[in-house]
Amino acid sequence: MTAPALAAVAVGDSIALLARTVTQEQIDAYAEASGDHNPIHVDPEFAVSVGLPGAIAHGLLEMGILADAVAAWAGGNANLLSLSCRFSKPLLAGDTIICTGTVIAIDDAEGIATLEVGASSDRGDRVLTNGRATVRLSR
Amino acid sequence: MPDPSHVGRRYTAPGQQIDAGAAARLADAIAGPDPVREPGAVPPTFAAVYCMAPTLAQLLTDPEVGINLAGLIHGEQTFEWPAPVRPGDVVDASAEITSIESKRGMTFVRLAMEAVRPADQAVVCRGTSLMIVRAAA
Repeated sequence: MTAPALAAVAVGDSIALLARTVTQEQIDAYAEASGDHNPIHVDPEFAVSVGLPGAIAHGLLEMGILADAVAAWAGGNANLLSLSCRFSKPLLAGDTIICTGTVIAIDDAEGIATLEVGASSDRGDRVLTNGRATVRLSR
Repeated sequence: MPDPSHVGRRYTAPGQQIDAGAAARLADAIAGPDPVREPGAVPPTFAAVYCMAPTLAQLLTDPEVGINLAGLIHGEQTFEWPAPVRPGDVVDASAEITSIESKRGMTFVRLAMEAVRPADQAVVCRGTSLMIVRAAA
């Protein structure tokens, strides 16, 4: 896997859209793997008792999926230099997350592209907003 | 409840092992129904495990800060990866409370965190978190 070539990347380029349906089983697996067992993620009845519509995905699970989407465009995890986002709306178990990204700036001297990135759910909620990623390009 | 007097508190978690199996389990959990995109690699957000979790756990159980766990929301996150981290690495994680503000019945706690690999002094991750704490009902 190689990074996209500096000469071939232009402002306005988009990454391949990544859609992934996040089941309760996947959220449970993420809780185990991350050690975050907060009941709002793994106990639907508890989640409802605190005013949520149901169990919600960990924000960092969503961010991990967004990282997958950007890393695929970047030619590998090692070319992803930074990633940031706001967890604006919850992603409920069973929802599909749809990750997108667009190149908004290119630093020719450093060989780095900045992307605006984000994610929405299939129910139309913007779940990850104010997202930015930087990617190392090849020459 | 957290208040501005807690700004500057530091939590350290030296000797975090970058375990290949743990990284693979996180990659698998992120992939869900899809194949893991880069088998054998440490997924970028594994920083949640080697940098964030061991320091945040100390903040969340710091009796003097007294965060109400039931009212905790992860609001924002930034990560930078200045140098790649590899399975087998050992890193020292630390985090510091950088600001605390209260408004509209919520407390906004900002943290800065870092993971350094002592073997070559490389910073492998820098991050910031915004944690939003709602008052206990």
